[in-house]
Amino acid sequence: MAETYQQGDVEPIDGSYVHVDVGGVDHRIYFEENGPEDGIPLLCQHTAGNNCQEWRHLLTNEDVTEEFRVIAHDLPYHGKSVPPTTQEWWTDDYTMTAERFTETLVNLADALELEDPIYMGSSMGGNIALELADWYPERFRALIGLECGAHSPGFYIDWLDHPEVNTTEVNAYACWGLMAPQSPEGTRRETMYLYEQGATGVFKGDLYYYSVDHDYRDKLDQVNADECPLYIANGEYDYLTTPEDGRQTAAGIGEGATAIEFAEIGHFPMSEHPELFNAYIQEVLADVTGDRDEELPDVLEPDDVGIELHQQGPAREKPAE
Amino acid sequence: MTETELGTHEWWESYKETVNSDPEMNVRGHGKFSENFYVDMGDERVLLEMDDGEIETFVPNPTMNHQWSFGVEGDRETWEEFVRETPPAFNHEIIASHYRTTVRNEDGHLELTGDNKKIFQHLRAFQRTLDLMRVAHNDGGS
Repeated sequence: MAETYQQGDVEPIDGSYVHVDVGGVDHRIYFEENGPEDGIPLLCQHTAGNNCQEWRHLLTNEDVTEEFRVIAHDLPYHGKSVPPTTQEWWTDDYTMTAERFTETLVNLADALELEDPIYMGSSMGGNIALELADWYPERFRALIGLECGAHSPGFYIDWLDHPEVNTTEVNAYACWGLMAPQSPEGTRRETMYLYEQGATGVFKGDLYYYSVDHDYRDKLDQVNADECPLYIANGEYDYLTTPEDGRQTAAGIGEGATAIEFAEIGHFPMSEHPELFNAYIQEVLADVTGDRDEELPDVLEPDDVGIELHQQGPAREKPAE
Repeated sequence: MTETELGTHEWWESYKETVNSDPEMNVRGHGKFSENFYVDMGDERVLLEMDDGEIETFVPNPTMNHQWSFGVEGDRETWEEFVRETPPAFNHEIIASHYRTTVRNEDGHLELTGDNKKIFQHLRAFQRTLDLMRVAHNDGGS
């Protein structure tokens, strides 16, 4: 269930811009945060083609922000992070790569002077946890890859940036089935609404990283999860990176990698079903901080975290006779 | 409706009413979605002739005299999963199901055929039309 607010309520989220060097070029990056200044930094990465608004329900969750300084940013070209003003960016296709993505995240963490942060991202933000663990394991306290897999082919689709297709709508509704049908319709629709705000070509450009550049099937032994704990948490309804994909990825990495299935939820857990995700992720965060006594289970169910599911199925009232 | 009635004439009639009275279809399909498509449930094919976001008519066993832009194919068991009130993962939406068929080479999922450009030009209305099968099948429709 979404939070309820009253007239005049102001959410405790602060928004700011920070300048970050990526590839020798200044980028003005927007981020939102909530939580104590000396809290454990929790850097949250949005999915391909989306923006930091996906994390708004985590940013206002008092159980989390009491301990963690939650920070959610817009990657360059996404949300409020405009393209770099010193570049003729309009003469090139936007294309995300693993090198560019990791450099942005590490340099952002440096620019914000985050000490020993936890990184968490979903989808492309989940996959990049493998590169971060491979290339920058010393920079993070832990990595949480939501909807993470060694390889996620098949979603670099030409129709997502085509002049004869309504890409605003298609970019969103190509993702509709990535969510669990039992997640609340309102938050599923909001997730798609956020997708409809993306700039032309950016979603497809992100998917170059997601479906083409990212392939760790033969490189899992390079991932340093023994140096930096890596959590791979995949939703039951994620058809791109299934819970089984997550288990195989963690098994291939070995020491330090933990796979967990989030039941009854999909590929956009933080925005499609915030109440359930916020409860699930607190179990993972408690494991990161050592506040959890038992090992994480293979599967987390709504009952395990005291959540009663929203009315199931496609809600639509039968008209009165 | 019950699952045993899936695909009967009465089922298609109820489904047609559900689609044609759906508020979202009125917004997203009106004046726009007029591409005919067929549905294969095992050996049975039904053509849905669309007009401005409404099902104008459904045609069992369409012939060469009919016209369509694309189709959805799957065995009856897969469709029965698709229309369940809470369908299982990967058979809960058409792109999800198609992905598992064509990219992951798995059996037991639906597959899209035909003109991909027209599918993506009308994705949201087409997707809603299929999702409404679940509404109609579970007494959520008119």
